[in-house]
Amino acid sequence: MGIGRRIMTWARLKSPWVIHFNTGACNACDIEIVASLTPRYDLERFGILLKGTPRHADILLCSGPVSRQVEDRLVRIYEQMTAPKFVVAVGTCACSGGVFAGCYNIKGGIDRVIPVNAYVPGCPASPKAIMDGVVKLLLSLEAAESACAGKERV
Amino acid sequence: MNDEREFRIPVGPQHPALKEPAGFSLALKGEKILGAEIRLGYNHRGIEKGCEGRSYIQALYLVERICGICSHSHATVFAQTVEEIAGVEVPARAKYLRVIVGELERIHSHLLWLGVAGHEIGFDTLLMYTWRDREVVMDLLAEISGNRVNYGMNTIGGVRRDISPELAAKILSGMDVIEERTKYYLEVAAEEETLKDRLAGVGVVPRDVAEELGAVGPTARASGVARDIRKDDPYAAYGDLSFEVVTDDHCDVYGRTVVRIKEVLEACRIIRRALKELPDGPLAVRAPRKIPAGEAVGRYEAPRGELLHYIRADGTEKPDRVKVRTPTLANIQSVKYMLRDRFLADMPIVVAAIDPCFSCTDRTVELREGRHTRVQTWEEMRLAGIEWYRRLGVDFEPASRKLARRIDG
Amino acid sequence: MPEEKVRALLVSRLGVPPDAVRIARPRRVFAEVPQERLRKALEMLKNEEGFTHLVAITGLDERERFAAIYHLGKEGVVVSIRVPLARENPSVASVMDLFPSAELYEREMKDLVGIDVSGLPPGNRYPLPDDWPAEDHPLRKDWKPEKGGVDER
Repeated sequence: MGIGRRIMTWARLKSPWVIHFNTGACNACDIEIVASLTPRYDLERFGILLKGTPRHADILLCSGPVSRQVEDRLVRIYEQMTAPKFVVAVGTCACSGGVFAGCYNIKGGIDRVIPVNAYVPGCPASPKAIMDGVVKLLLSLEAAESACAGKERV
Repeated sequence: MNDEREFRIPVGPQHPALKEPAGFSLALKGEKILGAEIRLGYNHRGIEKGCEGRSYIQALYLVERICGICSHSHATVFAQTVEEIAGVEVPARAKYLRVIVGELERIHSHLLWLGVAGHEIGFDTLLMYTWRDREVVMDLLAEISGNRVNYGMNTIGGVRRDISPELAAKILSGMDVIEERTKYYLEVAAEEETLKDRLAGVGVVPRDVAEELGAVGPTARASGVARDIRKDDPYAAYGDLSFEVVTDDHCDVYGRTVVRIKEVLEACRIIRRALKELPDGPLAVRAPRKIPAGEAVGRYEAPRGELLHYIRADGTEKPDRVKVRTPTLANIQSVKYMLRDRFLADMPIVVAAIDPCFSCTDRTVELREGRHTRVQTWEEMRLAGIEWYRRLGVDFEPASRKLARRIDG
Repeated sequence: MPEEKVRALLVSRLGVPPDAVRIARPRRVFAEVPQERLRKALEMLKNEEGFTHLVAITGLDERERFAAIYHLGKEGVVVSIRVPLARENPSVASVMDLFPSAELYEREMKDLVGIDVSGLPPGNRYPLPDDWPAEDHPLRKDWKPEKGGVDER
């Protein structure tokens, strides 16, 4: 991996910008995502910033079982993010459709629509679990980055 | 009816590739809203149909997840309605436990709302403090039930979890903390001129209009309509517990704020009383798996207002029909009324003030003036509203500092 | 007792047969009213007995026929007026002029059960998405998600 890419990955790891999107959920996971940013959990101390626009985001935190109404919008948001980009499915509905699997109007599971990099189950996913999932994703990026760097030196 | 202009935009089928249908469509003249069209259905998940294919217990877990804030409300009213059809008498202890969890849910919901309201108007300090306080209640709920949301407290015939004397003591301490903190919020609401500037006279619904439009919950009570299912149509243990229905006469967003804050304080009192009077006895009675043919209407005072379940049973293990009418749906007509002749800058807080059970934040808002249409995200609307009021001198910095000093000393 | 007054109104003034009115328990009345008398029943309950709150409208598929239930409330009492509707082309007239809050409940009944409601002003459908086929009404008993379609499991 060239030096430019290494700097970008480092920057992303140290301060990933996150966008949150709800694909038709009951809001429990969304509230827990917001709660992660409030003083008790304070996701921001990891440098994670919640952004309003997909164009500046590295990570998409996605909740909900994907209703028909939002499916296209979900795809569009994903397409507007610039690569490299990562998706975290937050909550059991986002992972698999959860308790709504089989209900009409529901696609079920984010990965039926866009690629998912990390799955955080829970009904809802608690703030601790969400943080755990995001941090695991970041660590896996770091590992991937080291692996690439290692290869280049050979 | 009345002589107000009825505003409607016919929105025909749209090709998904062109533009997603806006959650809100406002007709504007400059900064004034002439009329509003609201589009719901984004999180329509086919739950009523889903219930028909599930056993009553499975359906109970499904309806619990209709809303991530008032999950216990839906689960309890569903159980109650099925119990009524089946002629099952829930033990007294279970009724009290349902009330305790229900009032804890009301506290967390109202504190959440207070934070969201703060965020909508640019008073983020309020968000940080209320959500910090809310964690006290989330911890209690997690300790009672094992989960922060979706407590799984109910079964058909009663409840599944008990509250030990030790846990009761913790709940009482928690109520002391919540009460003390919430009194600060009441002071802020009463004293802060900036809050009044922002909220008073906004989203006005006179009492007779609130009644005519069928408003429910804090939205109705802030217009002086003393409508509260716990009092009017008692369920669980509310018939035995003494408590006050909170009303206010401001008829505006300010009134809705005060009502919710006072309801938190009243909820603390109800919980204390319920723990003190908590009867001994079993947690549940056995209910049949097949519910005899019949129908019932169940009602519940959820944090947002009256929640209704209508259920029809047909003698099998699965319900024949489950109809859910959420309080938000009952309040939508009032929102349309509130938005007319208001400033665009007020739109986010007016909508937020009915405490809507749909995900506001990814709604787009379509603004039409003459032949021009522009689309904004909710976030853009929120920021524009905050900026508009800032230019009028409404700034929450001093209030934030005062609140911080008061709470943290 | 308000429940008895409702029964008296329906039976004596509207000619509803007594066994079509059921007081299930305190604060719960269920009654079946023929379609041609629905309007009058709602008007009388609202204007004379003070049931000014339309709490909800439930549309349902009863297999042999359709039905709409209008739930009216007053001080904790709920009167549920059930109107049997034809199996073919079930239709009711909107009661928005009596109860403004009826609009969304009627649109929902129209979308999900396929009971047509005449007299609704132009507006967005609710709650189904725009591209949902007009002839598909998910709450009908004979409706199932398509195999192989987006809803297939």
